[in-house]
Amino acid sequence: MRKITFLVLSLTLIVAGTVFANGQQEKDKEIVLKWPSIWVGEDSKAGVVAQLVEQFNADNAGMIKVEVEAQPDYDGYEQKIRTSIAAGIVPDIFTMKLNPTTKAYYDSPLLMDFSKELSTGWGKDFNEGTVAQATVNGMVKSLPYEVAITPVWYNMDLFKKAGVSKYPRTYAEFLDAAAKLKAAGFIPTSQMTGGSNAWTSMLWYSHFLASFGGPDVYANPFGTDAYVKAAEVLLAMYSDGNTSMDAIGGDAGVSGGHYLAGESAMFINGPWYIGRVKTEAPAVYSATEVGPAPAAGSQKGAMIGFLQTNFAAAANADDPEKAAAAVKFIKWMTKAENVAKISAASGAMFAVKYDSSSISDELMGKFINASNDASFTIPHLEGVVTSDVITEFGQALGKMALGEATPKEFVEMLKKVQDQ
Amino acid sequence: MKKNKNIRMILLFLVPVAFLYISFFIYPLAFVLGTSLTEWNGITEMKFAGIDNYKKLLTDETFLLSIKNNIIWALSGGFIQIPLATMVALILARKPKGWKTLRTIYFLPNIISAVAIAMMWKAIYNPMYGFLNAFLNLFGIEGHNWLGETATALPSVIAQTVLYIGYFMVIIFAATTTIPKSFYEAAEIDGCTTLQQEWFITIPMIRGILVTTITLAMAYGMRHFEATFLMTSGGPAHSTSVMGLILYNKMDAFRLGEANATGTILILLGTVVIVVIRKLLSGRDAGSDSVQ
Repeated sequence: MRKITFLVLSLTLIVAGTVFANGQQEKDKEIVLKWPSIWVGEDSKAGVVAQLVEQFNADNAGMIKVEVEAQPDYDGYEQKIRTSIAAGIVPDIFTMKLNPTTKAYYDSPLLMDFSKELSTGWGKDFNEGTVAQATVNGMVKSLPYEVAITPVWYNMDLFKKAGVSKYPRTYAEFLDAAAKLKAAGFIPTSQMTGGSNAWTSMLWYSHFLASFGGPDVYANPFGTDAYVKAAEVLLAMYSDGNTSMDAIGGDAGVSGGHYLAGESAMFINGPWYIGRVKTEAPAVYSATEVGPAPAAGSQKGAMIGFLQTNFAAAANADDPEKAAAAVKFIKWMTKAENVAKISAASGAMFAVKYDSSSISDELMGKFINASNDASFTIPHLEGVVTSDVITEFGQALGKMALGEATPKEFVEMLKKVQDQ
Repeated sequence: MKKNKNIRMILLFLVPVAFLYISFFIYPLAFVLGTSLTEWNGITEMKFAGIDNYKKLLTDETFLLSIKNNIIWALSGGFIQIPLATMVALILARKPKGWKTLRTIYFLPNIISAVAIAMMWKAIYNPMYGFLNAFLNLFGIEGHNWLGETATALPSVIAQTVLYIGYFMVIIFAATTTIPKSFYEAAEIDGCTTLQQEWFITIPMIRGILVTTITLAMAYGMRHFEATFLMTSGGPAHSTSVMGLILYNKMDAFRLGEANATGTILILLGTVVIVVIRKLLSGRDAGSDSVQ
């Protein structure tokens, strides 16, 4: 009896040991990809992105597991990525804004170059020109994902109350509408000089640059005539009560806040703001029309459009399986049906070709129309100059708005930093 | 033999601290100094640039303005915040009714995040909806864009910081409790007024602590960053810029060589200011060093 008991116990131990060892081996084989993600918490994409990650992990159970590291603070996220790369540690997967400053990432051998993968047919999934925008010296070290346009948001309720039936298409119409809006007690435009990039005013300036300089404005040397003329119009936006008293020194909370509160009639931002307007200011949401800025120069109907967020990954040169796993996950995230889901839920626009018919949001539809109707599209200023030029933009704008610098001097201040 | 054993013991106890100090202070400091002489974006190879970064900074108007602003911050800390803290500490040391509650109230802002305080003051200063303009309007005074005008932006940011005296007040208050009561009793018998007692007894007795708090407040002023970053980003027109902000912006633009040169100048200037202030304030009283 004892012998039988001993035999059974031994067998049980052997079986249990084998099962455990196999399980451990399976677990050892599993590739874990860390993804510090901005699309978490209150972000409009958070819910769908979490579902997609969960589904990917379920489909690849035992082989690949994507672990999301929540990073809800945008500035903090960018800092984390920068310091990680500078320290020679690249997250397995991450997202980034591609601009002249972050193009320095492309110099790092630690980042994966997607160009080979894209040439195998994956590249066809992306809208024309977007991959080219993310290509530097033949390398695609960040994959275009979220794109955006930033039209002017017009609160048509305020226009109507001021006796203006349609939003201004020309600068003369703008001045006329602004006078009527002020007379009716409204703030014509939302502006800001504060924050790290004077975002709203930087976008206004980019629109005016497009209007004065056309599609090739950025190809011309910095500081040419178009830059000064655009600055003159921007200064006019800060003069004669055309913006709020707190615009100088104000941040995105100030410029957006006036629009959300139904106080300002014109504002600029991207589609990611739709959700906020819809929930926090439904009346403003219903009254909003989007379109190009009033044409101050000879070019009409221009739009500001840019790559908002790109996917990037660690090269993992010494671990090809991990590198392949990262590509597999990014391919999953760029799958048309998945992109359509994120777009429908968040209102965001993407560089990937997808069926946008499922987007039922009225304002998002207006964004898509504004994008389609644009006579041409250029990136915003922040997308074509280094971050120190943009830091200087807010300071120089404050100086100009306070009457301490002329539009020409404003441009010279930017040029000085650019030349450095 | 015993002496050797003692030395071994001393070394044994010193090694962990020395290791931490070298790893987390001396090495980073040497790294900052070294890289301040390079052109480096943190990703590609460093290029030796000699003193170019320093030349560039010291000929940059914004940087020079930032140095001036840091000195204003340091002086405000040392000569507005500390006298205020001393005044309150001396009043509380007399233990008037409710002094414990007052002490807690004064200290309370020190346990609140600097970010929350900066945001609160930003709202207070808002020219359209802020409390300050609303209050002034009651007296017929017209509203003002406190953080949006070059003349008022710097004083406004400084004011919201130096008004929080709790931290220094507690240190000075603690020092006053060490003064023997008999000194005051004797002074009272001699007919000294309260003000005279404070001036001739308390202040000299806590002189060492006052020098220490002034030094600390000035050091904080030299490395000031948070409130400016959160409230004005250095604007308008760089009028509130400080060296810490320049350093941050240089890092943000991947100009790590320049950022580290800024850091080096910040350390050097901070050291100079602290050494000078300690020389000026404690030079006449060697005994006060023991308190510090």
